[in-house]
Amino acid sequence: MTETVSPPEPTRDVGGCPVMHEDFSPQRPVGHHWRLAKELREASAVYFNTFAQGYWVFTRYEAVRDIYKTPEIFSSESITPWQPEPIYRFIPTQIDPPDHIKYRRVLNPWFSPKAMDAASEDIRAICRRLVEQVAPSGGCDFVSEFALRFPTEAFLCVLGVPTQDADLFVPWVEDFFGGFSGDPAGLEPMAKALDGIRDYWVQALAERRGESEARPGDLASHLMHVTVDGRALTDAEMLDMLTVLVLAGLDTTRGELGYMFRHLAQHPEHRRMLIERPELVPTAVEEVLRFYTIIFGDGRKVTRDIEFHGVQLKKGDMVYGLVSAANRDPGHYERAEEFVIDRQRNHHMGFANGPHRCLGMHLARREMQVAVEEWLRVIPDFRLGTDEQLMERGGGSMMTLMKLPLVWEPGS
Amino acid sequence: MKLVIDSAVCMGHGRCYTFAPDLIACDDEGFPTIRDEAIDVPGDQVESAEDVAATCPEEAISLIRE
Repeated sequence: MTETVSPPEPTRDVGGCPVMHEDFSPQRPVGHHWRLAKELREASAVYFNTFAQGYWVFTRYEAVRDIYKTPEIFSSESITPWQPEPIYRFIPTQIDPPDHIKYRRVLNPWFSPKAMDAASEDIRAICRRLVEQVAPSGGCDFVSEFALRFPTEAFLCVLGVPTQDADLFVPWVEDFFGGFSGDPAGLEPMAKALDGIRDYWVQALAERRGESEARPGDLASHLMHVTVDGRALTDAEMLDMLTVLVLAGLDTTRGELGYMFRHLAQHPEHRRMLIERPELVPTAVEEVLRFYTIIFGDGRKVTRDIEFHGVQLKKGDMVYGLVSAANRDPGHYERAEEFVIDRQRNHHMGFANGPHRCLGMHLARREMQVAVEEWLRVIPDFRLGTDEQLMERGGGSMMTLMKLPLVWEPGS
Repeated sequence: MKLVIDSAVCMGHGRCYTFAPDLIACDDEGFPTIRDEAIDVPGDQVESAEDVAATCPEEAISLIRE
């Protein structure tokens, strides 16, 4: 653990629970967050962190799973433990049961395996074009030139809006997630980015208003024609839904792609295995999601006083389930701290768990699989293009590499 | 052996029908079609059934040995 110089006393009784004072949000050298998660998990199952207003941190698989699976006690009203009163409200992310499922039922078919099968040729074509664009140069910053661009275009394609609008969305997504850094200077760009995204959808909805039927394959138009609880969705609901989809869909896959390709750059034996045995690509992707979990932790707000895994929680408390620690918990995984490319029985929580499990999981998997297949087809050998320390964004939003320079022999 | 998926626990992660497509199919929302219904596991699929039960992130799959 870093900087554990006598933390401030908690302003409340924590019943003898170990206390820490740790800001999890700043950028750190790559790998820092998983090492920290491991140290915390090994030293204690639970902590009280006096950072911000103070919140509980649970480090082991069972507690993290139980937080996810008990939404009546652990509300999603806030999912960032140091921001108990967020300036945004996302549907369905921050909606609790029983209303949550009503919104999910509207969205689930758009992100189902069948929908992904239908979009799969388009997704592959986007990926192929981007790989072929960078291949001749012999090097690129993988994060900005591929890992953010590919999921953005693929996602806009699934939503049925022009993929060239990726040029608008990419900077908005960067500024929005910059707002979680803990630095107050990031809050204004965050709010502006949110306005930009909302204005985009306000305009998209205005263009579609009054049409007698939903445009095929157009999610914004579809939302204007569905009923939830026997009524149409309000504009505010549609905006909240479309906005969170963009934020969740573009940033997360970028994060996982960065870690996956850093791993492949450093492990030629794994590149070879995936080329020779392409049937391993789906298992390798699952292992990336477990081992390189980008959810450092997931926050929830406690709805009533309750004893939970040995501590007394009070209504209004925030909790943080360290998913990154749980996914490498040796109590649940053999060779937990090893990347096992053909791991079977991999019940990781890389897409969260319980009713809020990631809506876009099937899209994310598809994108990761296609990225590996198409990249290795054109660029079978590549390595890190720098000796400099790579940095990763901290918890609060999803973890992601800020840059990943890769190099290869053009035409290899 | 029989296999049951508890609909109250299943969240549609899709690991089961991905890894055992001969046993389990998925619906239009991405959930397995056979929820709350004990299906017979053919003898040559027992290992596959054990794998998917252990892979389910929600622990929604139970196996009933006869």
